[in-house]
Amino acid sequence: MAGHALLLLVFFSARCAAPATLVQNAPCRATWGADLVFNSLTFAAFFAIILLLHSLPLPWKARKVNLLLASYVFYAAWNPPFVVLLWISTIVDWYAAQGLVHAQRQAARRAWMLLSVVANLGMLGYFKYGGFLLGNFTALMAALGLHYEAPALDIVLPVGISFYTFATMSYTLDIYLRRAEPARNFLDYALFVTFFPHLVAGPIMRPTELVPQFEQPRRATANQIGFGLALMTLGLFDKVVLADAYLAPVADRVYGGGAPPGLLDAWMGTLAFSGQIFCDFAGYSTTAIGAALCLGFAMPDNFRFPYAAVGFSDFWRRWHITLSAWLRDYVYIPLGGNRHGPARTTFALMGTMLLGGLWHGANWTFVVWGALHGTYLCVERVLRAGLRARFAAYRPGPLAVLGLGVLTYLLINLTWVFFRARDFTKAWTVLRGMLGANGGAEPLLDTFQLLSAGLIVAAILGVHILMRRRTLESVVAAVPAWLVAPVWALLAFAIVISQGAGNAFIYFQF
Amino acid sequence: MPSSTSSFERLTAADRPGIAQPVPERPVPAKSWAGLLLLAAAGAALLVGLWEKHWRDYGTEPSYVNSKGLWAIQRRRIDAGEGDATVLLGASRVLFDVDLDTWERLSGRRPIQLALEGTSPMAFLEDLADDPKFTGRVLVGVAPDVFFSGFMYNGKALDYFRRESPSQRAGQWLSMHVLEPDLTFLDSDFALATVLHRQAWPLRPGMTANTRVRKLSIHAADRNTHMWRKVETDPDYQHMAQQIWIEDSDPPDAKARAEMDATAQKQVDRAIAAVAKLRARHVPVVFVRLPSGGQYLPIENRDFPRAATWDVLLARTGAPGIHFEDTPELQGYWLPEWSHLATRERPRFTEALYGIIARNGWLAPPH
Repeated sequence: MAGHALLLLVFFSARCAAPATLVQNAPCRATWGADLVFNSLTFAAFFAIILLLHSLPLPWKARKVNLLLASYVFYAAWNPPFVVLLWISTIVDWYAAQGLVHAQRQAARRAWMLLSVVANLGMLGYFKYGGFLLGNFTALMAALGLHYEAPALDIVLPVGISFYTFATMSYTLDIYLRRAEPARNFLDYALFVTFFPHLVAGPIMRPTELVPQFEQPRRATANQIGFGLALMTLGLFDKVVLADAYLAPVADRVYGGGAPPGLLDAWMGTLAFSGQIFCDFAGYSTTAIGAALCLGFAMPDNFRFPYAAVGFSDFWRRWHITLSAWLRDYVYIPLGGNRHGPARTTFALMGTMLLGGLWHGANWTFVVWGALHGTYLCVERVLRAGLRARFAAYRPGPLAVLGLGVLTYLLINLTWVFFRARDFTKAWTVLRGMLGANGGAEPLLDTFQLLSAGLIVAAILGVHILMRRRTLESVVAAVPAWLVAPVWALLAFAIVISQGAGNAFIYFQF
Repeated sequence: MPSSTSSFERLTAADRPGIAQPVPERPVPAKSWAGLLLLAAAGAALLVGLWEKHWRDYGTEPSYVNSKGLWAIQRRRIDAGEGDATVLLGASRVLFDVDLDTWERLSGRRPIQLALEGTSPMAFLEDLADDPKFTGRVLVGVAPDVFFSGFMYNGKALDYFRRESPSQRAGQWLSMHVLEPDLTFLDSDFALATVLHRQAWPLRPGMTANTRVRKLSIHAADRNTHMWRKVETDPDYQHMAQQIWIEDSDPPDAKARAEMDATAQKQVDRAIAAVAKLRARHVPVVFVRLPSGGQYLPIENRDFPRAATWDVLLARTGAPGIHFEDTPELQGYWLPEWSHLATRERPRFTEALYGIIARNGWLAPPH
C-alpha cells in the first residue's frame, strides 16, 4: 500500500532527468545521466520493492544482505562500473581498520590510518580534482613562460564520491582515535558504507551512528513507515516544488545568462538561490531520513533551520551539520582547534573552511566561498572575545538578535554568489548588481518570478525563525491529526502537478 | 549571542565535538500515522483525479511525453540493427507533417523520427555522419529560423542519449507503461508553475511580452506526431498559437542582421562537412523546406531570405532539396497556426512528399 501510494505520488521523473539544469560550477566536469534520484519513478518502484522485501519474515542477516544488494543496485543504476570504486573504498577501510586493531606500535597504527586516508583521498583527488589540478598546473606553467599542453581529461565524477569516502574514512579515523570499536562483521560494515538512503548525498554517517543499528534485528512499525513517508513527501515537496519549479528558474535567469543584472534582479536571483540550495539539499536529507525510517533505521539531522542563525558559528551548527561536524572532528581539531592560542585557531579555522569549500567542487569560486566563511568565523570569534571582555553582563535584546540574524543572512547571501556563479567574472557581475553598480541593466526577471521567489524566500525565512529552537517532530506532534492529513495530501498533490523533471539534487555533483 | 548547544530540542553531531557520535534519535510524533497515510493518499488521489478531469475538460487527450528519453529510444534503433533505416531530422515541422504510417505504407519500412521541436538538426546530422553504424538515408527538414540560427531548444537530447543511465531508461519505461497512457495532464504546458507563470501578470517596466510556445502536439510511442485537436477546433487557442509565432517580430537592426548572416553561414559550413562525410559512406541526404503560411511566412522570408540561406545550402552541399514554394504538390494544405499541418493533411502531404523523393531517387538505397 505504502509503496503503491509512493508510486502515485512520485511519478514525475521518468522524463528527461537531465542534471544539467542544476549544474552550478565546474563547467568542465564530465557528467553522466542521473542516478537513482529520490524524485524519480524508478526510485519509487525500487523503494516499494525494498519495503516489501524488508518486511518479509526472513532472518535478519538475509534482510541485511537484501539491503546491501539493493544499495549496490541503487548506485549501479547511475553507472554500473563505478560500483567498483565503492567496493575499493569499502575493502580498503575494512582492512585498514583490521590492521589498526591488531597493530602493536603507534607507527604501525599511523601507517594503517594513512593507508585509508591516502586511498580515499587519492580516489577523490583523481576523480574530483584531476582536471582542476591539471588545469591549474598548465596555467602556472604558462605564467612562468613554459609551454605545457595538458592531455585532455574527460573524467566522469562518480556520484556521491565525496560523501562515501568521508563516511568510510570516519570508520578508520574513529578507530585510530580510539573513539570506536570496529564492526563485528563485514556485512554490518559494508552496509554502513553503502546503505542507500545516505550513500550519494548524505547525511554523512559515522560508524557509531549506524553500525549498532545493524547489530540487532529491526523492523519498522506502521507509525515509523507512515511518518517516514510523510517526511519523504515533505522532502520531495521542498525539492520538486519549491527548489526546482519556482526558485531555480529565477537563480538560473540571473546567474545563467550573459546579461548583467540590476539591483533588484541581482538580489532576487541570489536570494532565490539561497532558498533553492536549502530546499534542494535539506529536501534530500529529509527524504533520506524518511526512507531510512520506513526501514526502521534512524539517521541524524542534517539541517536545523539555518537561515535563523545568529552568527556564523551558529550557522554552521545548523547547515549541513554532518559535514561541518566531520570537518570539525577530523580536520579542525587535529589542526589544533582552539587549544593553542588565537593564531593557531585562526589557522585551523581558515584551513578547515578552505578545505570545506574545495570539498564542494573543483573550482576556485568554491575556495573563495570557503574563505569567506572562514573569515566570518574568525572575525566573529574576535568580536565575541572583545565583547565578552568589555561587556561581560551584556545580553542582546530581541531587536538586537533580529538585527544580527538579518546581518548573518545577508552576509551568507554574499557567499552564495561565489557558490552559484560559474566563474569569477559572473560573480563580480552579480555582486556589482547587488551594489547597484550595473547602471542601465535591462530587467531580467518578470513580475511572476519576482513575486513567487520573494514570497517563497520570505516564507522560508519565516519558518526558520519560528522553528529556530524547535524540531519538526515537536511541531507536528502539536498539530491536530485532522489537519495533518489534508496538508500531507496537498503537499503530495503539489508534487504531482508540478511535474518535476527528475532533476538531480545539487549536492550529487559534490 | 548565539544560541547555546542546550537550547536545541534535539542534539546533533554539531553539539558533540570530538567524540564518537551515538545512534541518532528519530522520534515519531504520537499519531496514528498509518491512518493518516491512508487519508492523505486518498486526498491526494482525489485531487489528482480532479486535476486530470479539469484538463480533460480543457481538451487534453492521451499522449506520450516528447521527452529526451522518448527520443533516445528512437536513436537507439540505429545501434540495434536498424542502421540502414531512413532517418527524419529537423524541427517541429518534420514531426507534425510527416506521417510515419503513410511513409511505411509507401516504402515498406517505418522511418526513425529524430526531429526535435525548436531545435536545429545540425548536431544530429553530424552525429549520424560520425556514426559508422548508420548506412541508411536522411531527410533533413529546414525550418529557416531554427536551421539557419542554430537554435537548440532541445539540444541536450544527444548528450542525454549518450549518457543515459540505467535508472533513466527504467524510469522512461515505467512512465510510458504506467502513467503516460492515462494521465493527460502530464505535459510541461500544464505543470502548475507554468500555468501560474502564464497568467496575465503586470508587465514589468522595461520588459516585453515573451509568450512561451503552448502545447500543440500529440505523440505516439515512436514519436509519430500530429497536431492537438484543440489547435484545430478552438478558434481562441488557434489565434493565440498564431500570435506566438509573430510576437516580438520586429525586423533585425544592422548589427543583428550581420550576426544572423554569419551564423547562417556557419550552419551551412557544418552541413557541408556532415553531408560530405555521409556521402563518403554512400548515405543519401535530402533537404526539405516544409510549408509555413499566414503572417509567419513573410517574417521567415524577411529574416532568412531564400537566396542567402536555402539556395546557398543546396548549392554548397550539393545535396538535393525540395522547397514547398517550388512544388505544387506541397502547397494548399491547411496550417491552422501557420507553421504545421493539420492532422488530416498529414497522410496526403506525406504521400506527395514521398512521391517526389521516390521519383527522383533521392533516398534510393545506397549502391
